[in-house]
Amino acid sequence: MYKNIIASSGLHLGVIILATLSLPFISKKPIELPPLISVELIQITDQTNIPYAPKAKKIIEKVKKKQEKLISEQAPPKKVKKEKPKEILKISKKNEIVQDNAKAVPTPDKNKEKIKKPKEEAIPLPDKKTDEVKRKEETKQNPSKEKKLQKKIKKIQEEQKPKLEDAKVKQVSEFEKKEIFDPQNIAALIDKSKEEMGETTKKSDKITQSQDKNMEFSGLTLSEEDALKAQIFSCWSIPLGLPYNENLLVRIKLKLKPDGSVIKTEVLDHARMNKPGESFYKVLAESAIRAIQLCQPLRVPTKGYERWKDLQLNFDAREMIGG
Amino acid sequence: MELSKIYKNTFLIVLLGFLLTACATQKKVTTDQKMDSQIQGDVYTGTDGVKYLADGVPDRVFFATNESVLTTASRETLRKQAKWLRQNSEVTIVIEGHADERGTREYNLALGERRANAAKDYLMTYGISSSRMTVLSYGKERPVDSGSTPLAWSKNRRSVTVKAN
Amino acid sequence: MEVNEKNTLFYFCLFLIFQTKSFSLIEVDITRGNLDPLPVAVSPLFSDEQTHSDLKKKLNINDLGLEISKVVENNLRQSGLFNPLNKDAFLQKPDIAHLKPRFEDWALIKSQALITGKVILKDDKLRVEFRLWDVLAGKEMLALAFTTVPKNWRRIGHIISDKVYERLTGEKGYFDTRIIYVSEEGPKTQRIKKLAIMDQDGFNNKYLTLGNELVLTPRFSPTNQMVTYLSYFRNLPRVYLLDIETGIQEVVGDFPGMTFAPRFSPDGNKVIMSFAKDGNSDIYTMDLENRIVERITNHPSIDTSPSYSPDGKYITFNSDRSGYQQIYVMKSDGSKVKRISFGNGLYGTPVWSPRGDLIAFTKLHKGRFYIGVMRTDGKGERLLTENYYQEAPSWSPNGRVLIFYRETKTDSDGKGFSAKLWSIDLTGYNERLIDTETDASDPSWSSLLTN
Repeated sequence: MYKNIIASSGLHLGVIILATLSLPFISKKPIELPPLISVELIQITDQTNIPYAPKAKKIIEKVKKKQEKLISEQAPPKKVKKEKPKEILKISKKNEIVQDNAKAVPTPDKNKEKIKKPKEEAIPLPDKKTDEVKRKEETKQNPSKEKKLQKKIKKIQEEQKPKLEDAKVKQVSEFEKKEIFDPQNIAALIDKSKEEMGETTKKSDKITQSQDKNMEFSGLTLSEEDALKAQIFSCWSIPLGLPYNENLLVRIKLKLKPDGSVIKTEVLDHARMNKPGESFYKVLAESAIRAIQLCQPLRVPTKGYERWKDLQLNFDAREMIGG
Repeated sequence: MELSKIYKNTFLIVLLGFLLTACATQKKVTTDQKMDSQIQGDVYTGTDGVKYLADGVPDRVFFATNESVLTTASRETLRKQAKWLRQNSEVTIVIEGHADERGTREYNLALGERRANAAKDYLMTYGISSSRMTVLSYGKERPVDSGSTPLAWSKNRRSVTVKAN
Repeated sequence: MEVNEKNTLFYFCLFLIFQTKSFSLIEVDITRGNLDPLPVAVSPLFSDEQTHSDLKKKLNINDLGLEISKVVENNLRQSGLFNPLNKDAFLQKPDIAHLKPRFEDWALIKSQALITGKVILKDDKLRVEFRLWDVLAGKEMLALAFTTVPKNWRRIGHIISDKVYERLTGEKGYFDTRIIYVSEEGPKTQRIKKLAIMDQDGFNNKYLTLGNELVLTPRFSPTNQMVTYLSYFRNLPRVYLLDIETGIQEVVGDFPGMTFAPRFSPDGNKVIMSFAKDGNSDIYTMDLENRIVERITNHPSIDTSPSYSPDGKYITFNSDRSGYQQIYVMKSDGSKVKRISFGNGLYGTPVWSPRGDLIAFTKLHKGRFYIGVMRTDGKGERLLTENYYQEAPSWSPNGRVLIFYRETKTDSDGKGFSAKLWSIDLTGYNERLIDTETDASDPSWSSLLTN
C-alpha cells in the first residue's frame, strides 16, 4: 500500500513540476493577423481596354477563308497580277547598278512581251492615264535605286539582301498594280472591291457599291481600336534611355494589306530623324518601326478595308517615360 | 523504501525543477533603465570611455545631435581642464572634435571642428592661450563606440582634449 | 472601239468620283509599350587561327573575341536597358555571323539587335571591328573598327558598349569610365582607408595610397589625370592633389586650418573646397596655375560640399545657415545665394548632373537616409532609394546613373559593419551592388576616358 501512495504522490509532484517548468513556454506571443486586403469587383464594359482577342481571331480566320474562296473564283486575274511585280522589277534592274543575281534576270524580249499582255487584256485607255501611271512607276523606282547604290558602297556581300529588297520593291509594285488595273478593267474593279471589303459576291453595279461605302463609319470602332492597341502595346519595347522631358511623339503612316500585313511605313517628321540634338527621335522612331514589324500581321478590323487601309499610328512614349 | 530516500528524491526533483525554471530567458529590465540614466537631453552623461588628464579631470565633453552647444556639465569639465592647464603651463593640447555617424561625412567633419572650437573658446575665456591649443576634427571617422544605437551615438558626439607633448 | 472607250471613260469618271469620297486618315494613339530590356544577341567576336595563337602567347587569353563580347554583354546587362541573350542559343558561328548574319536565325531566338565582330592581331597591334545589326529590319545599323595595344582590350569592349548603347538609346554611354573610391578595412573604431581606382565594371582595381593615413572623399579631375582628396597626413587634415600617372602628391594651398570636401571646376583649372577656421567653414577656390585663392562664401554657418554646374557658372552647396543642413545655389562668384531645398528633413551632398538639369542629394528624415534628385530650382524632388545609411551620390558622365555608398547597422556587439558601393538609375530602377574586394565608400565617377 505504501508503494502505491509513494508512486502516486511522485507522479503528482512530477506533473506539478512539469507545470511550473512549462509556464514560460505556455505564455505565447499574440498571433499577428495579416493586413486586410480590399478586393474590388470590376465590371467589364465596352469602355475598358481589354482586347477582344479570341473573338477577333475567329472572325479574322473566317474572313480569310472567305477570301480564299474569292481568290479561287478570280483565279485568272490573280495569276497575271503575280507575274507583273517580277516584270517591273526586271525592268528596273536594267536601269540600275545592282549586285547581280543571274538567276533572276530573264531575256529582254520576254519582258516586253509579258508586259504587253496585261495591257492587251485590259480595255485600252486614253494615253494620259498610262503616262501618269508610268511616272508613278518611275518615281517609285528611284528611291529603290538610291537605296541600292548606298548598299553597294558599304561593300557587304549578302545573299539575303537582294531577296529582302525584292520583297520591298515587290510590295511597292503590288501597290502600283492596283492603280494600273483599276482604270483599265471595270470587271477587275468590281472584283477587287469585293476582295478588299471581304464581302460576299456582289455582282451589282457600281452605284450600289458606292452607296455602301458612303454608309460605313470613317473610323475604327472602340473595340477594333482597343484590339489593335493592345496588340501593339505588347510589341513595343520602349527604349528606356529616352529623355523624359522631351517631345516623345513619333507618327507613323502605314499602308496595309487586307490581312493586316504592312505594305509601307512612313515616318512623319522624317527630318527630325537626323537633326543634331534630337538623336533620341531616331531611336524612338526605330523602336516604333520594330514594334510594327514584330506585330505583323496587325490586328485589323474584319470589315471596311477601304477605311483603314491607310492607318496612322501615333507612338507617344511620354506616359511611360515621363517622370 | 526508506522515508529518507523518498524525501531525498523529492527534494532533488524539486531542486532540478527550480534550476530549470531559472534557465528561462532573462527579461530586459536592466539595460533600458541603464540607458535612460546615461543620456540627458540627448547628451551623454556617463563615463564610458572617458579618460582622465589628471585626477578628477575628464578629458572629454559631449554634445546633442547636430549641436555644438556646451551643457552645464560640459562647462564644468572644461573649467577643471582649464585649471589643470594653468597649473601645467608647459602642456600644449590638441582638441579633437567628433560627430556621430548619423549624418553626411563632409558636414560631420565641419561639425566636429565646430565642437572642438566651442571647447577651445571656453578654455580661452578661462585664460588658456590659444597658442597652446590646436583644433582637429575627425568627423565620424573615429567613433569610440561602434554600436548603432542612440547610446552609442551619444558617446561618439564628443570633443576630446589630448596632450600634445 | 469607240463606244467601249466612252463607256469606260464614263464609268471610270464615276468610279473616281466615288473613290474620292476620302476617308479621313484613321489615327490610333499608342501610348503604352513594355519597359522590358531590349533583347540583344552579342556574338563572340571572330578571330582566325593565327590571331588565336598569337594572342594566347601575348596575353595568355584563350579566346579574346569571346572575352571582349563578355565585356560588352556584361555592360549592357548591368545598364538594365538590355537583355543579352544566352550564347548557347545562338545558331550562327561568329565567323559567318560577322560577314552575313542570317537574320531569321537571330529573330528566331527573339533577338532584336545583333552585335558581331572580328579581332585581328597585326604588327603587335590589336584591331577590332564590330557591327550592330537591326535583326527585324534586316540591316546594319553601325560598323566601326578600333586599333590599340593588345593589353587595352577591355577598353575596346567598353567603347563598343558605349557605341551600341548610344545607337540604340539615343543617349551617350558611360562604360568607358573609371571609378575612384576609398577602400576600407578593419574595425569600425580604427578603419584603415586607402584611395582606390577601378574600371566601372570592377576590373583593374589599383590602390593609390598605402593606408598609413586617413584619406577621404576623392574626386576625379575632368582631364582624368589628377585626383583631389582629403588626407590626414601628419595628423593635419588638408586637401591634396595626386597625379595618377606619376603618383606625386602635393598639398593644395597653404591654409592655416583644415581644408576638406574638394572638387574640381568643370574646366579642371580650379579646386573648390571648404576651409574650417574658428568653428566656421566657408567655401574657397584655388586656381591650380597661379595659386590664387578666392573666398566664395562668407557666413558664420557651415558651408560645405560645393559642386559646380557643368557650365561653371553656378555652384550648389550645403549650408546650415537656416539652422539645419539645406541645399543652396549661388553664382560661381558667391553672389545671389538662394536656398532650393524645402522638404522635411536634412539635405546634404548636393551634386550637379553633367546634363545640367538636376541636382542629386542625400536626405535624412526620421532616421532614414534617402538618395534623391531635384531640379535646379528645387522643384520636382524625387526620392530614389531609402536605407538605414547611405549618402554621397555621384553622377555617371551621361547623367543617367548615380553611384553612392551604404553602411550597415552593427549588432549589439558592434559587429557586422560593412560599407559598399551601390548604383541606381535615374528612374529609380536597377538598384545594384557594385562588387569591390574590400569595403568601399566615397565613390566618384570619372568622365568618359575617350574624351
